This record gives sequence, C-alpha cells and structure tokens, in this order.
Amino acid sequence: MLMLTQMIKTMGRTLLRLKFIFITFLATLLAGCDQKVTGILNPKGIISYEERILLFDSVALMLIVVIPVIIMSFAFIIRYREGKRTSAYKPNWGHSVFLEGFWWGIPCLIIVALGIMAWHYTHKLDPYRKIDGYPVSLKVQVVALPWKWLFIYPEQNIASVNYLKLPVNQQVQFFLTSDNVPMSAFFVPQLGSQIYTMAGMQTQLHLLATQTGTYRGLDSQYNGDGFSDMHFPVEVVDDAEMKAWFASVKNSNKTLNLSNYTKLRQNSIAHPKEFYSGVEDKLFMNIMHYYMGHGPLKFDN
Amino acid sequence: MLKELILGNLSLEAIPLDEPIIVAAGVFMAIGMFVVLVGITAFKKWGCIWNEWVCSVDHKKIGIMYLILSGVMLLRGFSDALLMRSQQAIAADTSMGYLPPEHYDQIFTAHGVIMIFFVAMPFMIGLMNIAIPLQIGARDVAYPYLNSLSFWMTFVAAMLVNLSLVVGSFAATGWLAYPPLSGLKFSPGVGVDYYVWALQIGGVGTLLGGINFIATILKMRCPGMTLMKMPIFVWSVLCASILICLAFPILTVSLGLLELDRMMGMHFFTQLHGGNIMMYINLIWAWGHPEVYILILPAFGIFSEVVATFSRKRLFGYTTMVYAIGVITFLSFVVWLHHFFTMGASANVNAFFGIATMIIAIPTGVKVFNWLFTMYRGSIRLDTPMLWVVAFFTTFAIGGMTGVLMALPPVDFHTHNSLFNVAHFHNTIIGGVLFGYFAGFVYWFPKAFGFQLDERLGKISFGFWVSGFYFAFMPLYVLGLQGVMRRLVHYDNVAYQPYFIVAAFGAVLILIGVGFQILQIVYSVKHREKLRDKTGDAWNGRTYEWSISSPPPVYNFAKIPTANRIDEFWYEKEEKDPAHVHPNDTCFEDIHMPKNTSAGFFIAVFSGILGFAMIWQMWLPAIFGLVGVIFTVILRTFNNDTDYYIKADTVKQIELAHYKEMLS
Amino acid sequence: MSQPATLEAHHHDGPGTDVFGFWIYILTDCVLFGSLFATFIVLNYPGAYGPQLKEFIQLPYVLTETFLLLGSNFTFGLAMMTFYKRKMAWSKLFLLLTIILGAGFVLMEINEFYHFVHEGYSWQVSGAASAFYGLVATHGLHVSVGLLWILVMIIQLSVTKNVRLNEKRMIMLGIFWNFLDIVWIFVFTTVYLQGAL
Repeated sequence: MLMLTQMIKTMGRTLLRLKFIFITFLATLLAGCDQKVTGILNPKGIISYEERILLFDSVALMLIVVIPVIIMSFAFIIRYREGKRTSAYKPNWGHSVFLEGFWWGIPCLIIVALGIMAWHYTHKLDPYRKIDGYPVSLKVQVVALPWKWLFIYPEQNIASVNYLKLPVNQQVQFFLTSDNVPMSAFFVPQLGSQIYTMAGMQTQLHLLATQTGTYRGLDSQYNGDGFSDMHFPVEVVDDAEMKAWFASVKNSNKTLNLSNYTKLRQNSIAHPKEFYSGVEDKLFMNIMHYYMGHGPLKFDN
Repeated sequence: MLKELILGNLSLEAIPLDEPIIVAAGVFMAIGMFVVLVGITAFKKWGCIWNEWVCSVDHKKIGIMYLILSGVMLLRGFSDALLMRSQQAIAADTSMGYLPPEHYDQIFTAHGVIMIFFVAMPFMIGLMNIAIPLQIGARDVAYPYLNSLSFWMTFVAAMLVNLSLVVGSFAATGWLAYPPLSGLKFSPGVGVDYYVWALQIGGVGTLLGGINFIATILKMRCPGMTLMKMPIFVWSVLCASILICLAFPILTVSLGLLELDRMMGMHFFTQLHGGNIMMYINLIWAWGHPEVYILILPAFGIFSEVVATFSRKRLFGYTTMVYAIGVITFLSFVVWLHHFFTMGASANVNAFFGIATMIIAIPTGVKVFNWLFTMYRGSIRLDTPMLWVVAFFTTFAIGGMTGVLMALPPVDFHTHNSLFNVAHFHNTIIGGVLFGYFAGFVYWFPKAFGFQLDERLGKISFGFWVSGFYFAFMPLYVLGLQGVMRRLVHYDNVAYQPYFIVAAFGAVLILIGVGFQILQIVYSVKHREKLRDKTGDAWNGRTYEWSISSPPPVYNFAKIPTANRIDEFWYEKEEKDPAHVHPNDTCFEDIHMPKNTSAGFFIAVFSGILGFAMIWQMWLPAIFGLVGVIFTVILRTFNNDTDYYIKADTVKQIELAHYKEMLS
Repeated sequence: MSQPATLEAHHHDGPGTDVFGFWIYILTDCVLFGSLFATFIVLNYPGAYGPQLKEFIQLPYVLTETFLLLGSNFTFGLAMMTFYKRKMAWSKLFLLLTIILGAGFVLMEINEFYHFVHEGYSWQVSGAASAFYGLVATHGLHVSVGLLWILVMIIQLSVTKNVRLNEKRMIMLGIFWNFLDIVWIFVFTTVYLQGAL
C-alpha cells in the first residue's frame, strides 16, 4: 500500500515535471507569435491562466491511459497478425481478474484525481465567485443586444457599445443580461470564462486582467444572422489611463436615455463603437424587470 | 375562404427561386428522383417495389431500406458540410465568402439535423434490423408491422426535411433549435415548423423501434440463449433501445411545447410572460445526451463482434462488457447538464455533473481494454471491418480524452460553443459511431445481400476517410483553443485561415472516401457473382447469423437453434465438421410468417400530409391527414388476414438449394 | 397488431409478447407525462408571472370529474370480468358505460377550460398557464383517444370472432385506461390540490 502511494507520488511528480517541459516548449514555440495566438493558450488574466493549467494537467493525466491504448492498438495488430500464428495464439482465453482489476483500477484512480480537481477548481473558478485576494474595484453591467454589446459602468455613470475598457491588475465584477436578442454569451477568451446572457435574468462574471493590451471579446452563443460580427475589442490599461478614459467619455454629447436606448436595441450588424456620458437611471435593472412583467419600461416587441 | 382552408400560407413565393445554390440543389434532387422513377418504370419494377419492399414487414428488407435512406441522406448532410468548409476556408478578414448568413445558418442546422436523425439513426436501426433477429435465432422482430411503420415514418420525416429546401426554408437555429431563437419572435418563418414536425414524425418511428427491439430481445431469443449468452451486439442494442424508450418521449415533449408556443401563442419558452428558456435547454439535453449514447452503444456492440471474429478469439471479459454497457446506460441519464455548464448553475451543480460525466470514461475505457486484449494472442485478419476498428481505437481515444477534458467545468468555460467542442463531438461521432457502423456495414453486407464488398476499394475508401477525418478536425481543436467559435459565417482574424483551409482539404479527402465507397458498392454489385458468399459464413463467424444462407431465406431459420453457450455456433463448427446436417436428414415443420402490409406506408404518408399541412396552416388537408392516420390504424385492426404458413416442403427445397450451393 | 412471426406452440405466447410491448409503451408515456409534470412544476413556482391558478379552480367540480373517470375505470373492470365470462353483450354494455363516463370527464374538462379562458386564464396569458393546459390537455387527449379505442373495441367484439385476439386487445386497453386514471391522480394532486391549497 505504501509502495503504491509512493509509486503514484513519483509518477505524479514526473508528470508535473513533464507538463512544465511541455508548457515551456509550447510557450517557446508560441513566444514569437504572442500577438497571433489567442484564447486560453495565451492567457492574460488570472482565470484563464488557472484554466490553462487545469487543461494541461488533465491532458497529462489522461495521456496515461490514451497513449498505451494507441500503442497497443498498433502493437497487437502487428504482433498477432494472422500468418504469424505461433503458440501465442490462445483462442479461448478471455478472462483475467488481474488484468481487469488493473484497467478498472487505473482509470478509477485517474478519475478520482480528476474528480478532486474538478470539485476544487469548479468552486474556485466559479464565474459568480469573487477572485480571492483582490477587492472588486470596478463594476460593469453588460447587456447583449442584437447584434452588439452594451457596457454600462454604473458607478461612473457612463456607457459604451462594442468597446470595453478594463483596468489592469484590478478585479472587475460583471452583471449580465440580454435584451431583444436570443440567448447570447459574453466571452473574452484571454481573460476568463464565458457566461450566458439571458433576458429577464442576471448572470455574473469576475475577471482580472494581468497584462495591458488589446484582446478580443465576443459572443460565443449563436443567436441569429448578426452572430459572426458580434465581437468587440477589450482594452486593458493601467489605472491612470482608465481614469482618463472615464473623464473623456463624460465629455461625450450623447447620453443613454430611453430614446437612445430604444434605438440601440433595434437590429444592427457590425455596429460601430458608441460612447455615452450618462445612463438612464436603473436602466439595467429595468431591462430585466421588463421581461419579468413589471417595471417602467415598455417596448413593442 | 375555402382557398385559405386548403392552401393556408402556402404560395408560389415559398419556392426560393432567387437563391441559385438552392435552386441548383433542388434541380439536382428532382433529377435524381426522376431518374429513379423512370428507371423503375422502364424495368417494370413497380409491382416488385410495392409488394416486396414498400409493403414488406421482413426485418431484413426493412433494414436494407433504412441503410439506403441513411446513405442518400449522407450525401445531403455531407454536401452541407462541404458548403460550410468551403465558406469558412474563404471567408477570412474582408471576404464574406459566397454564402450569406441567412443561408449559412440553415445549412449548419440542416447538417446537424440530417446527420444525427437521418444518417446516424437510420444507419444504426438498419444494422439492428438486419442482425438482431439473426443473432438471437429468431424469425423476425416482435412486431413486424410496427417495424414497417417505424421505417416509413423515418422516411417521411426525411422527405419533409428535403422538401423544406425547395418549399419554404429550414430552421436556422442550430440542430437543437434553442428558444427564444426558435420561437415565433426570432424565427417567424416556417423553418422551425418543418424542423419540429419532421422530428416529431421521425421520433414516433424511432420510439416504436425502441419498443420493438426491447420486446424482440427479451421475448424472442432461441431456447438456451439466456441473457448472459447473447452476443454483445444484442446487449448493446437492448440497452440502446431502453435508452430510446426513456429518452425520446422527452424529445416529443420538448418539441411539442416549442410548437405550442409557435402555433398557439403559448409561453413555455418565450422571453416574456413567464416563459423559461432554461426549461427547454434542460429538457432537450435530457434527451440529447442519452441520444449520443443510443448512437454509440450499438457501435460498441459491433466492435465486440468484429474484434472477436477477426481475431479468431473469444471476446475478452464478456461479463464486464455487459456490466460496462449497463453502467454507461444508467450514467447517460445523469450527465445532461454538461452541455450547458456556462448557463450559470451553481458550482456544486456544475461540479456534480462534471464528475458524473467523467465517471462514464471508466466503463468506456474498460471496454477499449477488453477489445485490445481480445486481440492479444489472437490471430488477426486485417480485413476492412477490422481496419475500421483499429482506426476507432486511436480516434475515439482522442475524442474521449477531449470529452473528459470538457467535462471539467472550468475548461468547458473556454471550450463551450467553440470549434474545440465541434471537433470533440465529430471525433467521437465519426471515430466511434460512424467507424463502427462502417465496420458493421462491411461485416453484415454479405449476409444481407449474398455477396461481399470488394476488399481493395474498401481499404482505399478507409484510407481516405481516416486521413480526411484527421485533416478536417485536428485544426478545429487548435482553433477552438484559440477562441474561435462554432457557426461563424465569417471571421476577421486572417491567422485562422490556414487552419480552415486544411480542414476544407480534409473534407475533400472524405469526399473522395465517400466516392470510393459508392464505387465499391457499384463495383461489387457488378461483380456479385464473383464475390458471392456461398456458405453464408463469409468471415468464419461466431454467431448464429452466419449459420444460415446469404441472403437468408425469408423465415431465417428452418429450425430454431438451441444455444448452450456464448458463441455456440463457433464451437459447433469446431466440434462437428461440418456443422451443417444434410437437409434430407432433418424433419421440417410449416413456418408461420406475417403477411406484408401497406398500412405502415399509408400511416406514414398521412402523417406527412398532416405535418406539411400544419406547417403551412392548411387546415383542411391537416384534418384529412389526421383522419387518414386514425382511419388506417383502425382499419388495420379489422384485418384478420395478417399471416400465412410456409409449407414444410417449400422450406426443405430452400434448405436443399442452400446446402448444394455451400458444397459447390 | 399481427401475430409475431415465431408462433411455435412449444416456444412463444403471442399475446404475452404483445402485452409486454404495450407495457413498454406505457413506460414511455410515463416519461412523457413526467416531462410535462416537470415543466408544470418549474413554470408554476411561487410568484410566477401571471394570474394564479388557484383563483380559478373549483375543487368540487374537479372532484366530480375525478369520480367520472374513476367510475369509468370501474365499469371497464366490469367489462373485463364479463368478457372473461364470455358474456359479450354485457361486456359491450359496460364498455359503452365506460365511454359515457369517460366522455363526461372530457366534456367537463373542456367546459372547465372554456370558463377559465373567459375568466382570464387562457393558455396565452403566461408560462404557468401554458404549462397547466399543456399537462391537463395532454391527459385529456389521451383519454379522448382511449374513448375512440373503446368504441372500436365494442365494434370488434361484435365483428371479430378471434377471442384470443380480442382478449389481448381488451388487456391492453385495460392497461391504458387504468394508466390514464393513475396519471389523473397525479394531475389532480399536483395541479389542482397543490394549486388550490
């Protein structure tokens, strides 16, 4: 029993070392293409970074089973090919408790390991959960519209369409919903998880970008003809630039009042960026309440 | 007023004459149908087609018709795939490709619907029909008339989908038609209605088939064949049929409620008035996940048969194989949430379903090892069926791995709805389901038709299919990890284009593979005398279907066999040589057979009329269709002339002819 | 349904296999109703949008409906007993009574729907209402199909001389009719009692 545990520990450590070699290899390969590689392979936020580690760890664990299977599938057809019929041919042998125990047991152990990882990381990386160790310094309300994104910064009372600016190294808390569009999903692959946006309901997401730059945000859930153009740039900047941007948007001559919002929620594809210096009071809440059947908003749907 | 009641919303504008690709496809379909109809008339085959095939209640003929339907719909579904791959290979950066979104959205929806419902399911049910009664030593399935009805309902449903191409439009919602996109507000046209009615009609057919095969397997096994002596394929079909019976009613409800929303202004899944789209997503996936296990279990069963036969060795670990199938069957009902981890369920819920999903990997892995160790110390023949099995091991291992990967909710938060997801399910469906069915097709083809398929062409098509698969889908894994989503009609990052071009190249390789499969069938038909299977035992098989002639006589077994152990036929062959006794030494009895009937066909046709009429709100034709269905069902129950006897002498003559051919 | 193809004396009991298959169909119908119940429960959570069902339900009315349906099961039982005793005329009479009681149930249900709609609880008013109609009307449709089947059965008892075949059909019809009664108990409890209390 002790030997088995020690064996597993050594195997685990070797694997983890291998995994680091693998990541280093991949990173070196991709280092030249840092700008070109997008998504979870090139994480720029805490959540994505942790999710990438989980991805590689799981692949490593599963290769323990997958690689022998592939090797055996070729080795056996070569070794036991008809014509080479030797004394190895045992036509009626079809039972071995030891072997069965082995290949019920090893996958069970791997799944137990993966299961523990799943439980732990599903809770740690839950989109609704605040990221440990960082206070929430910015709130953004997200409304999926056809076929564009509206971002409201409620505490700064400004809004933007198809453009998201976030501060680096600060936790941002998102509240998301949909209006006048089928179910969509907010996703910035390099920063963190995706989450569905549904009319009349509020979902949440927490992101923390670790490097300045411009990243790609998009809708991952197909929602009609304008789906392919429902993407937006996400600019991560330092705190000073963030504050400067808030100030400059405040100078915009457009406000997101009810009449502008009603125009905004009509269909449009590849909508250009827009900026609003003021937002209708409780707009996000009222959009949700509209679908719940109460609240002040009335649209002819 | 009367015109409205008869024609409803149907008008000449429903035919999309302004879309050249659709017009071309429609013309192509029409030409194809015309050629077939003219051919049948020219060769004066209408009588034979009607009496021997349309009205047939013989499981062997019904199985063949399912396979033909599956093959024809594969061409349609694959054309959709080629359109998608070529569009995505071109539409990078400023190029919009040649397919506008409205059209492209219908193509990927039709691709998914056709491939699952009208290629994979009929393929599977066709193989089930041909093999199951033969493997259990039965003369037919439990309910031959229902069997015929099941086929024709599936056929009519497929025709409705084909009709939607030229009259109206198809759904543009993705293959599962999530509301609110599929609701009246965002999909006001007839597309979603076509989708719902086609799947409801086809769904009834499939459900009846599930009931049929459970009853057949549990009630009609030959004497001595206890459950633990059945061939593994029979076990896998039993469990798949249980899944069908438990899952398909959920599909009926999901689609039914969606259609009630659309037709009667209800609010099950609307955004306003208290509807809940999450309810639909839960219901549809409570069906959808068991569905993919319905597809894969018979493929696993086929692998068990082929591996044992072509390794000339008994299957390793029969008992654990059975338990593994049972565990997979049970678990397939408790994992459905993994299709929408990103919908905002709590971490506890996500984690539970994620872990449950990963647990399925264990019995699946056990089966793979059991197959490998069936090969171990066997004597392996690498004929085409076995080649498909070997390709399956690697391909499905990769597909299964990416599946367990996505079962981890935090990873799924990245891969959900991306091309990684698309690559995963094509990996398991093509590498597992399709490779398995191809293996079964080549394996049982001689039994069904009496001659083998040409080996060389089979191997060539195999090579193109497998290499094509890897070229088509490995790039999608990379793209998915880079954050490229599914169902994109164009994309702006030109760095993705090389991957899409490679994927399109893969699709072309698969096209060549399909071409060689068609060539293989045509060539083998032409040279069928040379390829004739004289003994009925084309592969030196282990189970009872190989103990009778190819093709079998209409009654299958002149004498029902008695099974005392697993692979009884194999051991009979080993112990007695030959295993066959001269017909003159046997005492034959009259055999009781069911008569052919046109009832199944007509019920399906009336259902199709009902469906089409409901789609276009043609109320009088709809009532006509409904009354027709009810009337035919009731009329059939008053038919007392539903069976006949084959005389013992006739049986003897048939058996004698087969015996003579075996010796020649 | 035709006899199965392997009707050898030593081997199979045709009616048994057909009845077995019918039980499997009932299983699938359980899943169907189960999904409808799940939908009803989810869409009728406390505080759901729209008018409340309990404002429209009249329990005595529903109780009467229930007794009609239960009564029809009793008369069917009598039809079955007299059938086994080969008293065909009585059997047909009790089947007719079953139709009358069953039709009474359906008519009362349609009447209930009519009044609900006129009082403002139509199937278009909310998701909760849609779920109510979806579940209850599906059951009502099953009962209506059952009524048609009983009618056909009466005709078959007169016309078809094959007693074994008729016995098999009566058994299946009985299973169906009883099943619908059991589903109604669940509907009554979940929809009406929970809704009203």
